[in-house]
Parts: sequence; C-alpha cells; structure tokens
Amino acid sequence: MSSPIRYDLLLVGGSSSNLILAHRLLDLAKLSGLKLSIAILEKGQQFGAHIVSGAISNPHVIARLFPDYKENGFPLEGFVTDSHLSVLGADKKWDLPEKIVPKGFKKDGYAILSLSHVIRWLADALQTKAKEIPNVQLDLFPGFAAHEILYDHQDRVIGVRASESGALNDDAVYADYTCFGDKGFISKDLVAKFDLRPNPQLWSVGVKEVWEVQEDYQGQVWHTLGYPILDGTFSGGFVYGMAHKRLALGLIVSLDSQNPNINPQQRLQDYKSHPWIQKLLTGGKLRKYGAAVIPEGGFYSLPTRFAVEGALLLGDALGVLDVASLSGVDRAMETGYIAANLLHDTFLTQNFALMEHYQKQVLESFVGQDLHTSRYFREAFLENRRLLEQYLPAVTNKVDQGHPWLGSLQYGMGKPIQRTTDTIRALNLILGKTKSEEPVTYTSCHESIKPEFNPAAVAVNTKIAPEILYTRPDAVFFAAPKYHEGNRHIQEFSASTCQECIATYDKLGRTTPCVSDCTAEVHRIDSFENGRVHGMSLENCIQCRTCEIVCPRVNLRVNPTYEGSGPDFYGL
Amino acid sequence: MNSFVLIKQVPDQSAKAGVNADGTIDRAKAKRMLNPFDCFALEAALQTKRLYGATVTAITMGPPPAIEILYEAIAHGVDQAVHLCDRRLAASDTLATAYALYNTVRYAGDFDLVFCGLQTTDGDTAQVGPQLAERLQVPQVTYCESFEIQGEKLIARRVTESGTQVVQCPLPAVVTVANSAHRLAYRTLRGVQRVHQLQRDEVERNQVIQTVSLDDIQADPARCGLKGSPTIVAATEKVGEIGGKCVLFQGKPIEAMVSDLLADISLVELVQR
Ligand SMILES: Cc1cc2nc3c(=O)[nH]c(=O)nc-3n(C[C@H](O)[C@H](O)[C@H](O)COP(=O)(O)OP(=O)(O)OC[C@H]3O[C@@H](n4cnc5c(N)ncnc54)[C@H](O)[C@@H]3O)c2cc1C
Ligand code: SF4
Ligand code: SF4
Repeated sequence: MSSPIRYDLLLVGGSSSNLILAHRLLDLAKLSGLKLSIAILEKGQQFGAHIVSGAISNPHVIARLFPDYKENGFPLEGFVTDSHLSVLGADKKWDLPEKIVPKGFKKDGYAILSLSHVIRWLADALQTKAKEIPNVQLDLFPGFAAHEILYDHQDRVIGVRASESGALNDDAVYADYTCFGDKGFISKDLVAKFDLRPNPQLWSVGVKEVWEVQEDYQGQVWHTLGYPILDGTFSGGFVYGMAHKRLALGLIVSLDSQNPNINPQQRLQDYKSHPWIQKLLTGGKLRKYGAAVIPEGGFYSLPTRFAVEGALLLGDALGVLDVASLSGVDRAMETGYIAANLLHDTFLTQNFALMEHYQKQVLESFVGQDLHTSRYFREAFLENRRLLEQYLPAVTNKVDQGHPWLGSLQYGMGKPIQRTTDTIRALNLILGKTKSEEPVTYTSCHESIKPEFNPAAVAVNTKIAPEILYTRPDAVFFAAPKYHEGNRHIQEFSASTCQECIATYDKLGRTTPCVSDCTAEVHRIDSFENGRVHGMSLENCIQCRTCEIVCPRVNLRVNPTYEGSGPDFYGL
Repeated sequence: MNSFVLIKQVPDQSAKAGVNADGTIDRAKAKRMLNPFDCFALEAALQTKRLYGATVTAITMGPPPAIEILYEAIAHGVDQAVHLCDRRLAASDTLATAYALYNTVRYAGDFDLVFCGLQTTDGDTAQVGPQLAERLQVPQVTYCESFEIQGEKLIARRVTESGTQVVQCPLPAVVTVANSAHRLAYRTLRGVQRVHQLQRDEVERNQVIQTVSLDDIQADPARCGLKGSPTIVAATEKVGEIGGKCVLFQGKPIEAMVSDLLADISLVELVQR
C-alpha cells in the first residue's frame, strides 16, 4: 500500500486569506530556514475561478507584503478618486453630502480590484517565490476541493478528504495543521461539530456583473441605498469604475429578509433599469456575471473559538467582514497574516499551543477593533425595522421629487418625540457610538423568512433599453459553469419535505425560496401526475450557497464539487 | 504486466493558433495540449493498471515542451515515461514517426499492450498505430471500445461501420482506442503531488521521465525526419468559410423567440430538410 499524502500545513481554499498566509509564511521561512511542506486545495479549476468580490479595498495588508505592489505587476484596476454614497429613487439619484457620509463609505485612495485576478496573481507569485526557498515545499492543487474534515480519536483535525477514489489513503491529505479559508463551504462542519457559533451567521448574497462600457469611469465609485429594494430587506448597490473602460456593478441583498422571493439576479436587472445606471451602460457589453455570499453578522456571529485542535478559521469562514464599510478583503488578508506569524513560530518550536494566541491577536488587530465598533450595525436595522421599511422608502420618494432632505424631515415629524429618540438610538448603534456591550441574538436567515410576507410594491422604471437586461438563464451563460458527467453536488435531504414546502407556497400563489432566490437557474418545481416535485438543473449552478441558506426547512446542502467543476468567475 | 501508451502534444484547437503565411501551423506560437484522441488511450492504459496491476509507461515523441503532456499523464496515474526528443525528427511523416516510435517502444522494454489514440487532431491520418503494430510484428486491434484480458489473451470490442465486433488475439498486441471508449478519469491527488515532486527534483525526474535521442534508441537518422519521410506536401489550401448563415435567437421570452424563428425560415423549408 502506498504511503499517506502528508504535509506540515494544509490550506483549504485558494482564498485572499490563505494566499496571504502562504506568502507571509514563505517570507518568514526564507529568513529562518524553517523546513516546511505546504499544500493548498482550491475547488475551482484554477485559482480565482470561484472568486467574486467587489472590490474596493484598503491596500494596507498588500502593501505590507509587497511594498512595490504598484510596480510589480500586481493586478490593480486603479485607485478611488471619487467616492459617493447615494440614495436612489426609482428615477433619480441623490449623492449624500460629504459631511454626512459615514466614515466606512469614504473610500478615496482605496485600491479598486478584480479579486479573481488578484487571487491568480498571488498564486502564481507564490509558486515563483517557493522556487527560491529550498527549505519550503509548496504544492498547489487547483481543481481539488476539501470534501470532508478528518479527525483523530481525540477530535483533533488531521486533514481532509479531497477526492473520491474510495481508498482513503489516496483521497486524504493529512497535515499537522489545517487552515480553512473556504468561506464556510466545508468548515461549517467544523463549526457545527464543536458548536462554535451559538449565534447564527447572517448571510447576504452579492450578485455582480462586469461590463465593457463606452466611457472611462476608472476611479469613480458609488455605493447606493434604496431602489430597487424597499421592502425592508437590508441591501445596497455598488458601481465601481475599473480600468480599460470596464464597470463593475452589483447588488448585495441580505438573506435574513422576511421576503421569501427576493430573486437577487432579477433585482440586479431592476437596479440596472435605473436611468442613471442605464446611461452608464448604454452601448456597453456584459462580460461576466457571478454571485457569492457575504457573512454580515459581524462581532456577535463570531465563533466562540477561532481555532480548534489542529485547525483554525480565516476570513469569511471566521466571519470578520466589517459590514459597516463592506470590507472583507483586507480583513481576510489580515487574519492570514496573523496566522502566518503564529504558524511560523509554532512549526519552528513544534509548540502547537502557540496557536491559542490567534483569537486574541485577531481581536486586538484593526479587524477585531472594527468588528467591535460595528457590533450593533446590523442590529440597529433589526431592532428598528421602520428604518428600512418606512424611512428609506420615504427618502427615496423625496429623492424622486427632488427634495431628499424633506424625506428625512417628514419621517421625523410624523411622531416627533418617539421617532427622533428611535432614530438617534439607531444612528448611535450604526456609528458605533454606544458603550453597551450587551450581546444580541440573531434569527438565522431561513427562520426569518415569512411565507405570507407582502413586499411593498416598487415602481420599476419601464423606459428600459432591453439589451442591457438579462434573464436568469441568460445570465448563467456569463458565469460559464462547466460540470463533469455525473456531478451531483447539491443534496436534497427529503423529497417529502420539499413537497410540503411547495404546497405551502403554492397555496399563497408564490414560489419556494430555493426557486426564487437561486442566483442561477437551478431549482425548479416539476408538475407530475402525482404532485409537484422539487428538481434541480445542477449544470447551471454557480455555487453561491444561497439556496442552502434560505431553504426554510434546511433541506439542502451545497457541497464542494469534484474535478474542479463549477463557474468560471475569472474577470469578476 | 506492462502497458505502454503513446501520446502526442498537439496545438490547442480552442486557442487561436498561430498560422504561418504558408498555411502551416506555427507550433512555437500555438498553445499546446494533449491530443484529445489520446485521452481515451491513456484511460485504457490506466484501466490495465487499475484492473490488472500493470505498470504504465507513457511514450511521446516531440520537442522539449512535450514533457508537459508526460506530466499530465503522470498526474492521471501513469508510472513512468519516455520522451523521444531529437531535432533530427522534425517534419517526420507517418512512416518516419512509426519507425522512430517502433525503436522507442523496443528501447522501453517488454510490453504486453501498446495503446495508441485513434488519430491526432493535427495530422488526422490514423496510420501510426497500425504501422507500429506491423513493425513490431504483433496483432493489432483498431477502433477498440472496450476490452478485457483473460490469461494471455486480449478480448476486445471494436467499433465498425455497421456496429461492433468482438475479437480476440494473443498478447502482446497494439490497440488503437476509439473515442467512444471510457472518458479519461480525472487527475489523481497522488499523481498531481508526484508531478510537483518531479518538477522540483531533477534527479528523480530523470529517473521517472527518460529523455532519449535517436542515438539512445539506436534509430537510423536517415529514416527519420524530413529525410525519412516520403510524403510530400504539395500545397496547403485555405478552405475559406464553410457553412451557411447562422441566426441566433436570444434574450427574449421563449414564445417570442419561437415566433421570430418561424418568421425567419419558412416551415416548408424546415420540413424539406
Ligand atoms: C459581490 C461582492 C462584493 C464584495 N465587495 C467587497 C469590497 O468591495 N471590498 C471588500 O473588502 N470586500 C468585498 N466583499 C467581501 C470579500 O470578497 C470577502 O470578504 C473576501 O473575499 C473573503 O475572503 P476569504 O479569504 O474568506 O475567502 P475567498 O477569497 O472568498 O475565497 C474562498 C476560496 O475558497 C475556495 N473554497 C471554498 N470551499 C472550498 C473547499 N471545500 N475546498 C477547496 N477550496 C474551497 C473557493 O473556491 C474560493 O476560491 C464582497 C463580496 C461579494 C460577494
Ligand atoms: S429545497 Fe427547501 S425551499 Fe426548495 S422546495 Fe425544498 S424545502 Fe422548499
Ligand atoms: S443552486 Fe444554490 S448554490 Fe447553486 S447557484 Fe443556485 S442558489 Fe447558488
């Protein structure tokens, strides 16, 4: 029998966090001479193929690792020169005056990135770097996902299963230490096993398109509130001007919405029908489409332990994104950087107890500090639902009428005393100006859904250039999913549970959350003589995991795929 | 048991290949890939490993970059490889190629089965496999779709114009594998790890992948390359655009697209086809 496949360190996910971790660790090992073998598993066929982000990011971590990043070929789309926070009515746009834009949305000077390009670059640069360091053995495994976490008898993580030949010795990658930068894809099992997240994660989904347009908008960025989602769902839009006359635009929609039928991809089309965006896109061409989920729970969704015996969590898997500024990239990178420093000393001394410092160091870094400041950000909107259900629509109405300030005033005047104290409290929570440390409890996304919820009607602009809009099946084409024969990566646990769910929604004249909220065209309800049945066209799936998160009966599981199957997001 | 598989690196047809002014392929510019037909041969060879414990040797003839497809073969589970790499092989036709490969196979040692792809996507002759069998003076099974080994015999199902045919022959034998055979299984974890190791470690690489010249395999240079190739390419002609007009109906509801389609071509025309 052949020997097991072993490494000192195993990194699950070719992610922002893991690639920064590896770069930092290689730099340290070069100096210290530490002998180390590292494997990186990435489920996409290539590094960056399964990466979607915005992305506007503070480049501080990148600059720390690559002081010459502006000249060394690092893929930059530019730097933010004009940053706006805007409220959209159905018709008009109101850029908030600089004075009242919260700090988190002042993005001037930040780097504009296509994260998929950054990831590919980081992976290539890593291989080049490793060749110069004879004491380091680095093996990259694009096209191989971690499918199952392996433990020893003492529940210590000892590696993962990464293929399915049937012989564990050929399928397992063993390691002394494993780092999960997998956005929770598989590390959710670790979190569940050790019951690490008493308060659930709040997820949102981001849908994004990249366009080639007529004009050059490089350096201009807008974050928007309001249109087209005015049903109380926490959401926002973004438009980022990239290099070479390309534009990234997207919509981020929270999945703890009460609305069972969000359909994020179609809401993005509504967003594009806004006259301002239509104008930006006129004469342009859609190049790429993609979607991914974003952990928004922040401080109060953090796991009780950031590391267990033999493994730790990074980036989105840990849940360190700062929702108040939509910053995930630099946070993920920082967790990787901190972990690398500790791993280096751990391997050098063979003292694995050192990893216990990881949690403390993350919490003391800017990552932890910002999470703490924003700890009530999401809660502010949950506690006071009127903010999104009434206040925001009132302001957007006034934006369309040309008097945005009036909207806020009117809302405050309605019930002057109570509303103002409410709003002041909300504002303080949002801006982190409170001394309170009282923990909050979240309701998980699937439990927030109300089948009978009636979303407020939103007037969608009807004067639309049809060529800029895409149906969901057509959008799938621009995410370019490719699957191997026999792929079955989404599990439906019980057919009868689906039938009950379908009956519930049929009675209300709606469709099930899996069908409506899928960002590609995967879930469907088939009518047969003996009833209505849930079915899936898995070949369309772009692996965002939205369906798993919104299924009200927790009846789905989106597994990583074999053979590198899935979308090709390179360019997003 | 020893299985050999003959594979070739060809220009990637999906990439924009460089084409010289005279219509020949600019191989230096073209992106390269494993000949798609050879994937079926590779899978057949790997089946002998999985089912009968065979040692699988991949053999290729080609310029230095051809080592890429040997790495690929190793990632899929091949045990070792021989790379025949010699400038004097340039412009070999099928006669010269089969001669050189024949010598390489003999150099590589005893074999029970030699698997070849049906043809290549750059030459499209389907001649090398059969020529090789003739030179080796062993039986050949062409267009093989599936097979099993019983004792010293190969039992194979081959695709014919009218259906399939089951044949048997003694080992050793040469088999050309049809593209209706098993699709190539995915790279293995261990195979990919081994490739990383070989790329790092030159000593180990030279043990696993032997690079040989015409002299090493004792082939007569006069019978190789341009000199050994009686085929004369008189000229290559551009075929020009083939096919008719293509209309795409998209971006509208299905009903609308169907009526657009019906408006565009008359039903009569459809039925006549
Ligand atoms: C639409 C959108 C817009 C965003 N905009 C911004 C922005 O403007 N600024 C900002 O800072 N942040 C933004 N974010 C958030 C940011 O992208 C993430 O927080 C960040 O990328 C998280 O990094 P990570 O290291 O956790 O993982 P990621 O970088 O997401 O990488 C995870 C990787 O792991 C791989 N993987 C998953 N499971 C497995 C497995 N089982 N085996 C092997 N590989 C696996 C995946 O294929 C993927 O490559 C945005 C996110 C989205 C979706
Ligand atoms: S998968 Fe979930 S949401 Fe979809 S029909 Fe089944 S139970 Fe309902
Ligand atoms: S099936 Fe699920 S994971 Fe796949 S694209 Fe749809 S929502 Fe995302």
